[in-house]
Amino acid sequence: MSFKFSKIRILETGYNSGPWNMALDEVLMYCANYDIPILRLYGWQPPAVSIGYFQSMYEEVDVKKCKQMGIDVVRRITGGGAVLHESELTYSFITKIYPKNIIESYNLICDPVVMCINKLGFNAKFAPLNDIIIDNKKVSGNAQTRNKNILLQHGTILLDVNVEKMFSVLKIPSEKIKDKMINDVKARVMGLNRTFEQVAYNLKESFSEKFGAEIIADNLTMEEKENTKKLTCEKYTSDPWNWKKKL
Amino acid sequence: MRKAHNIYKSEKLIKVSLEYDEYSKIIKSITIAGDFFLYPEESLDALEVNLIGTKLEKYTIEQKVKKCLSSSEAFGFDSESMTDAILGCLNPEKNT
Repeated sequence: MSFKFSKIRILETGYNSGPWNMALDEVLMYCANYDIPILRLYGWQPPAVSIGYFQSMYEEVDVKKCKQMGIDVVRRITGGGAVLHESELTYSFITKIYPKNIIESYNLICDPVVMCINKLGFNAKFAPLNDIIIDNKKVSGNAQTRNKNILLQHGTILLDVNVEKMFSVLKIPSEKIKDKMINDVKARVMGLNRTFEQVAYNLKESFSEKFGAEIIADNLTMEEKENTKKLTCEKYTSDPWNWKKKL
Repeated sequence: MRKAHNIYKSEKLIKVSLEYDEYSKIIKSITIAGDFFLYPEESLDALEVNLIGTKLEKYTIEQKVKKCLSSSEAFGFDSESMTDAILGCLNPEKNT
C-alpha cells in the first residue's frame, strides 16, 4: 500500500493551554478527510504536564506544585509516560490511511520528524517503539491512538530540557534517588537548541517530501473551535477524565 | 479484606493496586496503571473487570490476562510480566 497523499492540511495553532491542546487533537481526529491528513504544529502556554492514558494523576504528578508554578495538568488520549511540555514543538498527525501494523505506523510518521531534525544538522534516528534519538539521547517522544479507523499520532520535539523543573513537578519514588534520576535523565535526553520557527519550517517541508504532498496552510473552522471549547470544558478540565485512575 | 500495591518494572512500569480476600485470595477490586501502550486502550478496562472474582494464583491470572488481551497489542509489557505485576501484590513487603 502506498502512503502518499496529494495534500496535507497544515494547522499552526500557536501556544495554548494543556486541556485545549488535547481537546483540539481529539476534535481533529474526527475532521480528517480520507485522503487529506492533518498536520498540526503547536506549543503550550502556560507550560503543562500531560500524563499517559493509563497513568494515574495521583501517582505521577505533584498537582499542588504545578498549581503554584502555573503549570496545567491534563491526561492524554494516548499511552506513554508523563511529560512536562515547555520548550518544545509539538505536532499531531491525523490520517485515515496508515499501516495497520503499529510499529510500521510509528516508523512511517516518525520518519519525517527524523528528516526534519536531520535538516537542522543532526544525525537522528527512529528508536522503536516511539522515540527519536541523537547519539542515544532522546530528542522526541511520540504516542498514538486509533479510533474508528482514524490514527492520531502526536509527539514532542524538544528544543530545550529543564530536568530539574521536570522532577520538581513529577512524583518520584524516593527523594534519596532524586539526584541520580536527574543525572540519568540529563544523560539520556537532549534539546535541539533551535527555535520553534526553525523546527516548524523544516517539519512542514519534511512531511511534504515524505508523503509527496502539497502543504495547504489552513485555519480552524468555527465548528472545530466550538467543539474544542466544549470538549475542553466537558472532558479535559474535568476530574473524571484527568483523575480517572486512583491506585 | 486486604489492600495491596505493587510497582513492577517490565519494559515499562506497571502499577497495580488491588483489594483481595486474605483467606480465599479472591480479587475484590483492581486498578492497573502505567506508562505502557495498549491498543485498543479499552482492553485494560476489560481486563480489570474480568480480574474481579479471580483467585490470585499464577495459572488463573495468566489465563485471564492472555484471554483479555488476545485481540490487543501491548508495548512495554507482556502477559507474563502483567501476571507477575499482579501477583507481586501478595508480597507482604510491598503491601500497604
